[in-house]
Amino acid sequence: MERLPRGRHGLSRQFVAENQRERLLAALAECLHERGYEKTTVAAIGKRAAVSKSDFYKHFESKEACFYAAYDDAVERVRDCLREAREQRRAWEARVLDALEALLDLLAADPGLSRLLLVEGLRAGRGVYDRYQDALQSFVPYLREGAPAPPDGAPPPAETDEAVVGGVASLLARRALAGELERLPEFLPQIGEFVLTPYLGVAEARRIISER
Amino acid sequence: MDAIADLTAEYGYEATKIGDIVKRAGVARKTLYDNFEGKEDVFLAAFDGAVEDVTGRVEAACEGAGDGWEERLQAGLSAFLDYVAEEPATARMCMVEAMSATPAATRRYEDALQRFVAMTKATAPHYEQLPETIEETLVGGVAWIVHQKLRRHEAERVGELLDELERFVLGPYRGMAAAK
Repeated sequence: MERLPRGRHGLSRQFVAENQRERLLAALAECLHERGYEKTTVAAIGKRAAVSKSDFYKHFESKEACFYAAYDDAVERVRDCLREAREQRRAWEARVLDALEALLDLLAADPGLSRLLLVEGLRAGRGVYDRYQDALQSFVPYLREGAPAPPDGAPPPAETDEAVVGGVASLLARRALAGELERLPEFLPQIGEFVLTPYLGVAEARRIISER
Repeated sequence: MDAIADLTAEYGYEATKIGDIVKRAGVARKTLYDNFEGKEDVFLAAFDGAVEDVTGRVEAACEGAGDGWEERLQAGLSAFLDYVAEEPATARMCMVEAMSATPAATRRYEDALQRFVAMTKATAPHYEQLPETIEETLVGGVAWIVHQKLRRHEAERVGELLDELERFVLGPYRGMAAAK
């Protein structure tokens, strides 16, 4: 992200502040990617963002606070992407697969975001880890909404939805750790089949995926 | 090592200090440092011990359940849930604390999940049509649900999940078997 020109530039104070905040968040993600959470210092973030230490503290109380803000922003980006698919008034299975596809594309296209969410998020201590958990839980209703019952009768119990979301997250985290983020879109058929199977049965899930 | 499981279960990894561990274990600080490099080392050793313990139990249960893959998977799943219910502090240390304790602990957690993935692959029937990653997602899903129970301090109720998780895990294989 470009730093703003020095001196008198006629830019509003609010614009400068927002620009600084965004630069700090972007710099944090880059530092994390390069050196991990422990070794990322306020000084390093500030240097990369070309923001002075005193300006850093105008935006964030601490490194943790900056990290939480970056994390929350990243979660919101994922939420926006899932919401968009949900708002297309299509059949449940098409919506779910659209959301999954959009998610995999987003994560593959932005490795900084993915690492922040899936790798560093798990390593940076309790506060972030709780955010990760809460974010995943908040995605569960997207799956549950309008989900059909499987052909053999009773709808899957509520915890199945959680297991499906958790299973997908676990796979994504493992791929992120293994540095295979750019390959994520290739996993759409596999992950899609896993997600649809508890609701539609494996035969129907396979049919839908193969026709997509 | 029991001490670190109890303490991290109660207070979390970050808040647990070496001083607390030696006090709870009733050993001298020097004894701890003769055996371990520090807190992380104690944690990882306890983690490894627990993983050996639980994988041993799960393997034994599968072995004892006969030749059918359904019975073997059911027995393995059931043995895993029993372990969690019997050893809630250890389970919490391994499944909740490990994920946010240190980078090395996160790695160990991933490696442990991989062992369960390998066991599931070895036990479940192989269908070429099923996704290659099916076991990874199934194991990840089971771990997640159990993890949620542990996070809410409901380890004793984990047995209630058996039927549902059985359906979740066996479903794809049963579906393929029925389609044959």
